[in-house]
Amino acid sequence: MTALAEAGTRWSRQADPESTRRQSIAQVWRGFLTATRLGWQTEANWTNPVVYFLYAVCTPVFATLMLVFMIQVISGGNAPPAYRAYVVIGSGLWSFVVAGIAGLAWAVLDDRERYRMLKYLFVSPNDLLVLLLGRGLARMMVGAMGAIVTLGLGVVVLGLPLDLARIDWPVLVAAMVLGLVSIVALGLILASVAMQTRQDSWHYPEAVSGALFLIVGAVFPLNILPTFAQAFGLISPLTWWLEAVRRALFPDIQSGIGGAGSLYASLAGHDAPSGIEALLALLLTTVVVTLAAVATYRWSEHRAKERGLFDVTTGS
Amino acid sequence: MPVSPTPLHSAAALAIDARNVGRVYKAKPNPIVALDGIDLTVRPGELFGLLGPNGAGKTTLIKILTTLLLPSSGTASVFGFDVERQTSQIRRIMNIVSGGEQSGYGLLQVREQLWMFSQFYGLGVREGWRRVDELIDLVGLQEQRVQKVSQLSTGQRQKLNFARGLLNDPWIFFLDEPTLGLDVSAARATRELTLAWQAAVPGRTILLTSHYMAEVDEMCDRLAIVDRGRILAIGTPAELKHRVQSESIFRLELDRLDRGVGALARLPGVISAASVAGNDNGADGERNTILVKLVLVDDGALGPVVSALAGLDAHIVSLQKSEPSLEDVFVELVGRGFEDDLTVHQNGTGLRSAGSRPADEESVAEELAGRSR
Repeated sequence: MTALAEAGTRWSRQADPESTRRQSIAQVWRGFLTATRLGWQTEANWTNPVVYFLYAVCTPVFATLMLVFMIQVISGGNAPPAYRAYVVIGSGLWSFVVAGIAGLAWAVLDDRERYRMLKYLFVSPNDLLVLLLGRGLARMMVGAMGAIVTLGLGVVVLGLPLDLARIDWPVLVAAMVLGLVSIVALGLILASVAMQTRQDSWHYPEAVSGALFLIVGAVFPLNILPTFAQAFGLISPLTWWLEAVRRALFPDIQSGIGGAGSLYASLAGHDAPSGIEALLALLLTTVVVTLAAVATYRWSEHRAKERGLFDVTTGS
Repeated sequence: MPVSPTPLHSAAALAIDARNVGRVYKAKPNPIVALDGIDLTVRPGELFGLLGPNGAGKTTLIKILTTLLLPSSGTASVFGFDVERQTSQIRRIMNIVSGGEQSGYGLLQVREQLWMFSQFYGLGVREGWRRVDELIDLVGLQEQRVQKVSQLSTGQRQKLNFARGLLNDPWIFFLDEPTLGLDVSAARATRELTLAWQAAVPGRTILLTSHYMAEVDEMCDRLAIVDRGRILAIGTPAELKHRVQSESIFRLELDRLDRGVGALARLPGVISAASVAGNDNGADGERNTILVKLVLVDDGALGPVVSALAGLDAHIVSLQKSEPSLEDVFVELVGRGFEDDLTVHQNGTGLRSAGSRPADEESVAEELAGRSR
């Protein structure tokens, strides 16, 4: 125990209840990166990297191929390439949504129910929100692998008419950034719910992403939906994200939002939004969802602290 | 007023200052009062124990002090920082280890998990690795350094948990039933580590909860006996025991006492004398010594009694002073023991290391008694 005494003497000068702004920022960044690494390890450590890569990309790739083949069958092999592009982009990008929405909520559930570490994370000097965002980012990276491979296969195997010279890069980059922020915000709302609920909430992210899949124009345009469903779609940032990305990648692609008889057309007075218009709508809805997510999370965290939920294992 | 971090802490500030802390859990049909107006102060450098049965409120108080739970009423501070409003300051100077749980990221290696927490505690990368490797050696996990957490035994997990708790070198270390579910040797290692850590640097403070009375008696400078959300008594173990025993009690073994214990009871300074049992240690089973429980007004009355025994033609075979235990204190204060609670709790956790004898009240007492001998 002599070593303990020596170590303790050296260390004791470093525990400090106060920190400078610079130290705080450094700690937040370090905590975020470590949480991301933790998320990646807990996500991918169960097998070797090759198997994990296959696991991560197979689901979105085969889901997309299934949709494309169904369209081919239904259309008698005459589905226009632009519509195939529509479906491939929507389905491929959905990997981000599934991973991002589930990532934060499952981080809460994993750490509370499975690893029993949520309370230790909560009472560490880092903000739990930062750690959850890091965990969520790790899962988003997994989703990104699936999305990139799916889109790549769409171009190479399915012959999507992608012209690099015609891509609107600024809109694409801005749309991706805003879209990912909005996905994380939605994930944060679900994490707030998971913090309050029982272990059954493992299924909530799937249910929510499944419901959103129907109303945001992922694989079919909004104008085939009832008006109230279109209204829900128009207030979702995911709808505008998909639209903006499609517009940036394929300028001539059909709109998933507008079209004859659509709610958008009746409200806006023109047939379909431009790329910039979609981007602005994405910005607006993302800001609203993000603010709502942060407020919801803070409320949930306070309530969990008030009710002592951080170390309660529901085990239902 | 928050304390300055240099030196380790100011003598002017209390490590823990809880005033009228209450905690009520909403439940149906009736709310559960976990804490009912707790007043508690712990000085820097103390190893303070909370002793009480399951459901007494010990863990709830620790949760409040570690900013995991909000109090329903009252105020509490840790080194001058309010547990409701100054949580970030408290979290930088404290750590907590709970016993009887299987926590840990099973897929990570021991070293990875500790390093990860070193980063959450704000240590730099190099400093983090340095402390991780030192602590792995200190707690005796060298052979498990690259083993996955899921493959550790219960005792090894608790060592890992301890190492995590020491990573940020806390000013105050909260130990919530740290030996619960451990086998005897792991429990002993945990106690030794706790005492060594505290002794290493003056001013380090520990709040320990336990329902092993011998453990609290042996380790703690002061303790509070808690039951049903209330503190029943606070003091050093000796003070508390003295509270229930103002008289001196001796266990006297005599070779004979032909005139009966009544002769002893009439001696000056003797409050009572009672024959409690005999020793049947003869080969034929014949009783050949007499045991007497002698209650004196104080230790000073023993001399005249010993002198008088010669006149009674009785010879002393052995003489032992009876000390009250913390259990006696608890029974005196509460009117019941908590053995039943203990048994139920231990059986309920199922956290025992395979092949090892689990630590229990008896084994803890045996071990500590052996150490003191």
